[in-house]
Amino acid sequence: MNLKDLAYWFNDFWTEFRREKSGLIGLAILATAVLVVVFEPLILPFKGAAASWRNINYWEDNSPNAPPVWTNLLPGKDSAVTGTIKPARVSEATIEGGAVATTWEFEYVYQYDLPPLDLIMHLRATGNLTFQMTLQRPDGKSILLSQASEHGLANGTIRMAATAYGRDACFAFLKQYENADRVGILTSSDMKVTDIAFAEAKEGMFDNPVAQKGKYRILVTAIGNAGTDKVESCEIIVAGRVSGLLGTDNLKRDLFSGIVAGLKWALLIGLFVSFVSVIIGVMYGIIAAYFGGMIDKTMMFIYYIVNSIPVLPILIVFSAVFKPSLMTIIWIMIIFSWTGSVMTVRSMALQIKEETYIEAARALGSGHARIIFKHMAPLLIPYSFASMALSVPGFIVFESSLSLLGLGDPTIVTWGAILHDAMLGNAMLNGVWWWIIPPGLLIAIMGMTFAFLGFAMDKILHPKLRTR
Amino acid sequence: MNDNDKASDVILTVENLKKHFTPHAGLLASLGGPKRVIRAVDGLNFSIRRGEIFGLIGESGSGKTTTGKMVMKLIDPTSGTIVFNGEDVTSIHRQRLQAYRRRVQMIFQDPYASMNPRFKIREVLEEPLVIHRISADRRKRGEMIIKALNEVKMNPPEDYMGRFPHMLSGGQRQRVATARTLILNPMMLVADEPVSMIDLSTRAEILHMMKDVQRDLGLTYLYITHDLSTARYFTDRIAVMYLGRIVEMGPAEEVIDNPIHPYTRALIQAVPEPVTGQVETIKELAISGEIPSPANIPPGCRFHPRCPFAKPECSGQAEPELMDAGKGHFHACRRWKEIG
Repeated sequence: MNLKDLAYWFNDFWTEFRREKSGLIGLAILATAVLVVVFEPLILPFKGAAASWRNINYWEDNSPNAPPVWTNLLPGKDSAVTGTIKPARVSEATIEGGAVATTWEFEYVYQYDLPPLDLIMHLRATGNLTFQMTLQRPDGKSILLSQASEHGLANGTIRMAATAYGRDACFAFLKQYENADRVGILTSSDMKVTDIAFAEAKEGMFDNPVAQKGKYRILVTAIGNAGTDKVESCEIIVAGRVSGLLGTDNLKRDLFSGIVAGLKWALLIGLFVSFVSVIIGVMYGIIAAYFGGMIDKTMMFIYYIVNSIPVLPILIVFSAVFKPSLMTIIWIMIIFSWTGSVMTVRSMALQIKEETYIEAARALGSGHARIIFKHMAPLLIPYSFASMALSVPGFIVFESSLSLLGLGDPTIVTWGAILHDAMLGNAMLNGVWWWIIPPGLLIAIMGMTFAFLGFAMDKILHPKLRTR
Repeated sequence: MNDNDKASDVILTVENLKKHFTPHAGLLASLGGPKRVIRAVDGLNFSIRRGEIFGLIGESGSGKTTTGKMVMKLIDPTSGTIVFNGEDVTSIHRQRLQAYRRRVQMIFQDPYASMNPRFKIREVLEEPLVIHRISADRRKRGEMIIKALNEVKMNPPEDYMGRFPHMLSGGQRQRVATARTLILNPMMLVADEPVSMIDLSTRAEILHMMKDVQRDLGLTYLYITHDLSTARYFTDRIAVMYLGRIVEMGPAEEVIDNPIHPYTRALIQAVPEPVTGQVETIKELAISGEIPSPANIPPGCRFHPRCPFAKPECSGQAEPELMDAGKGHFHACRRWKEIG
């Protein structure tokens, strides 16, 4: 088949395919999925999500179990959104004794009902420095959230969280406004830093804080020796109560990133396993049918054995004994699932084998390989495509079930692995629905996509199925 | 002509050729009782001379196509020998079979089915060249294809090379099928009813073409047909087959003008002729019934249940062998003198 024939064939196929609505839907979803995979680095909110999925430090600045951002659209109280703030202004001032104070000024417009869970400052520094983080409230009052000194830094990273250092300052702030009886029975360890820092300063602010909306300013000051000490890349992370498109899990991981990073594995596993196993199955069926006799009988015997081995128990045992990796899981799936198309192909090949042109080719002196590859296999290609598309969802679900059982590749993030973590994290009991529904739904949608494609192709390539 | 000349004159000799098929039996049936055997070809003897057109004639089910396939080595005979050009080819394999297939080629009955519908004419004709590694040069192969298409009078050849088989008429396809066999320069062609599926109007043309090719290239044909009228026109010698055996054999004119065996007679009578005034009448046949099943061949002369001249001796005595009636005319009827 040369290129022109292929183009002609494809044209024909496309004209027919366009009429299949479900096929078009499938194609659209698949195209979107492929685009997402291609542009994954641009789409990922956390660039290192795929590589650092199981690295707890990578996710430490997020809030745990935060619902998706769009839940703010639902009726009820609005929650602060997770985000990063870049400095609006940087200023330097020389103080007595040759020290320099570098001040970054951050602006944070707070317009929610529920305050963020934390304010976290990051910067890189060299030398011996003292840091301060101050919150200036819209009502003019300010709170010193944290203060720390570091020595001997060599371009080291500094992380200061308001909740870790700000309790005393908040307790002092609270004392000014709350009535003395209430304050009397509290200690600084009872303070919820952000609740107080973002509440209207009045009596009862500890028990029933009312959000003080408006523009907050966060000032970060680093004091060090001029010339020898350096500070740079300062930023503030607001760890909100809602986070990202799909929220976070109990280990603070951004689920949207996980799901985007898992898409390529779902596609890879589904497409690769179905491609290889269908090719093997088709060739197996053709060879059995073509040679017939004892070869056919032996091959069918092997087929029946492989076909009747339950794969899941084998994989469970295998994964328990060996360290499962993506490739071994893929190959085991192939080893046990190539049988899917054998019977259909064999029966089709038995029919093709009897065609006169096969006999004519033999009379011309064609060898077995030539007859199989030049005459028989091309006729079965359309069937193979349809059966590949139809078997993809099975493999995606299969890998997900394995991961759900905890038998997946621990080095990658797959949708099944996310579900497995959700199960371990009691997502159901804790009401963390955004941890379960999106991956589950996407597994179903991915399966549906390929089922749609497969059905549409099946209809076109097997005209007998046409209902019109 | 002495014996030595005669031997080299013969290109194909078939001796006591048999093909028995054993159909798949159920488990119980295979345990008890004798095996049911279908004797499709049951002891065939003939030889074809170099440059001759040898016709093998018979009803459907007489084993003529099976014989063709055995000669073509597409199926293996149960017993007997096939000698081609002095070489016993009954059980050759691999290289020798490949070499044999360069020298013996086959034209199939159905020109619609004998070409892969996905191949263009160029690819159809290129296939034998590729298989037998005739030429690695695509342009040279193209020239050979053009030459072969010219031989079968497909003009201009370039027009047809890019077409698919379904874009050609039945006659054109059979020409292409012939060209495909000629491209390897074979010595012998097995033509299995090459014109039976072609319109009556183009039959003569195809047969003319085949005859021209045969004369030009000095080919030998084994022409298999059920059609006596084309056989007489086309062949030099014919053999009439009935239930896997030859019942009459001889020069074409001799056999058709002076048939000896009752079966041949019946066949000749059955040929419809568009004679004025008789177009509407359907001929009354001397023989009745269907050809018996080759799984259950009648004892004695296998034609006796349908023979109008049959006597008890025909079924009671052993099967008659071919007998010489002179002028190279052979037959297998023991009562030929009485019924003549």
